[in-house]
Amino acid sequence: MLKRFRLEEPESAAEVSELLGRFGDSAKIYAGGTELLLAMKEGLVHYERLINVKKLKGLSEIAGENGTIKIGALCTHHQLETSPVLQQTLPSLVKLEQNVANVRVRQAGSIGGNLCFAEPHADPGTLLMALGATMVAEKSSGPREIAAADFFVDAYETSLKADELLTAIRVPAPGANSRSAYLKFGYLERPSVGVAMALTLDGPVVNEVKIAVGCAGPAPRRVAEAEALLNAKSKDEAVRLLPQAGAIAGRASEAISDLHGAQDYKEHIVGVLLKRAFNSIVS
Amino acid sequence: MQFEKQVEIIAPREKVWKFIWDIDRFIACVPGCKDAKTVEDGKRYSAVMVEKVGPFKVEFPTTIEVLERDELSHIKAQASGADNKIGSRMKIDLDVNLREQDNKTVVSFVAGVDILGKLAALGHGIIKRKADQVLDEFAQAVKTTLEGDK
Amino acid sequence: MSKPMTRHADAQTISVSFTLNGRLQEIEVEPNELLLDVVRDRLGLTGAKRSCDVQVCGACTLLVDGRPVSACTTLAFEVRGRSVMTIEGLADDGKLHPLQEAFIEHGGFQCGFCTPGMLLASKALLDENPNPSEAELKHFMHGNLCRCTGYKKIIESIMAAAKKMRAR
Repeated sequence: MLKRFRLEEPESAAEVSELLGRFGDSAKIYAGGTELLLAMKEGLVHYERLINVKKLKGLSEIAGENGTIKIGALCTHHQLETSPVLQQTLPSLVKLEQNVANVRVRQAGSIGGNLCFAEPHADPGTLLMALGATMVAEKSSGPREIAAADFFVDAYETSLKADELLTAIRVPAPGANSRSAYLKFGYLERPSVGVAMALTLDGPVVNEVKIAVGCAGPAPRRVAEAEALLNAKSKDEAVRLLPQAGAIAGRASEAISDLHGAQDYKEHIVGVLLKRAFNSIVS
Repeated sequence: MQFEKQVEIIAPREKVWKFIWDIDRFIACVPGCKDAKTVEDGKRYSAVMVEKVGPFKVEFPTTIEVLERDELSHIKAQASGADNKIGSRMKIDLDVNLREQDNKTVVSFVAGVDILGKLAALGHGIIKRKADQVLDEFAQAVKTTLEGDK
Repeated sequence: MSKPMTRHADAQTISVSFTLNGRLQEIEVEPNELLLDVVRDRLGLTGAKRSCDVQVCGACTLLVDGRPVSACTTLAFEVRGRSVMTIEGLADDGKLHPLQEAFIEHGGFQCGFCTPGMLLASKALLDENPNPSEAELKHFMHGNLCRCTGYKKIIESIMAAAKKMRAR
């Protein structure tokens, strides 16, 4: 049984922002509820008001426009995994979304909710970071864009302000030679380690390397040091440097020892997944 | 969960020792701790610990018992509290040692932290990290306050 | 049939008009009511089970607009304007659905606790993909857990039903 709460059903982002500003900590945005309702059922959080954002228009579309793919924050994982636009432009994201939790969570859960709840063992944030995505946040005073790399502050904590609503995720459309991959490892529904990699293949050289690690630590992280190591190298040279890059990425993951695995084990898996991700992209 | 911390404070041992028993100022160094009260001077104190991990907030009314006290060198204490709203309990066993080194006081402490109940659902790793952060901030605050005192 | 709850005088209620197993239902719910509780306790349809309560096991699976959801983690008001199917609505006026027949014929259940969820989830699968490969079937059904059968007979039952349904 859930404790009683009042349901608000605003119809604009401005209204949502106003409600958040007015009610502060006692109100929470509610979309698919796949994370929020679990926390509420457990009694870990309680809100006097839930702000149902599903009546907002224009937040459930996926479209490619002017070299950018725009994903509405209210899009469900199911929408993402079946989107023709994404299947064409971001197949690695489609594959990720196909493997989020289970079919029922994918039906109800939204990408926005997933990102904003910032559960440490979530998948999408890690890949979106490697894809150089930006999050679009709105409040009464207007919208702002937050780079994915700056979005995830800590476990369950994003850089959204208290009265901001995430409305969309913008991903730069990959070029013809751009590839990306996301690999995860885990034996529970929530993965233990996730590694994302994106790069551009210019003949024998790999450029614009982006690496992100997630699930192992409190929040997903870009690994600039590993990126710099592999960037602008020939494929063969990059392969030789993979173990080093893997070790760097492992440490950067801020892995925490817990039921999902020991710290050194997770760091090791990061290296393994990095190697596999690279090989799957360049072969 | 066990934590070992050490902090070097540029201040004489007597000053550091005195500061520890100045309950209002001492408790103020613990992030999230407020409403410090003396229940029995030198033996028992109370405070409220408020901590937050993202949207998860706990408020522990806490009792602190001093178990051992060796003047100027050693304190053993136990803090315990319960948040009934969230069905969780907290217990901290604290062992603090002071010694002089050159013209500094080295404060080293071992903290055994147990979190029981629903809060444990957040995951051992997250809680451990949070506890570690709180203890680090606490040690730094003590140092900064004492060294800033003239 | 729907028993009204004892309510606070100032409780917020939401009118929920929805189709349940083909029939129109109109109920009032409070925002905090979960779909599973409404279906089981107020509407008396106890086929859906509360098992893990954290949407990983699938024993509470219901179909909303033909798609599987975890009723244990769905607020009841969310079905307003939608069509809901419970296991009690799978058979057509007493005539078993091919999936139900296949589960009987091929031994796709033992204790039966997970079975309502299994049947509804596999119905959603076959409605979407009438000829799934075993890999596709396993992927779709990944979130429906069974502690008795070891899954082999469940897979056989669903594949057999799919074959029969395609032949029609």
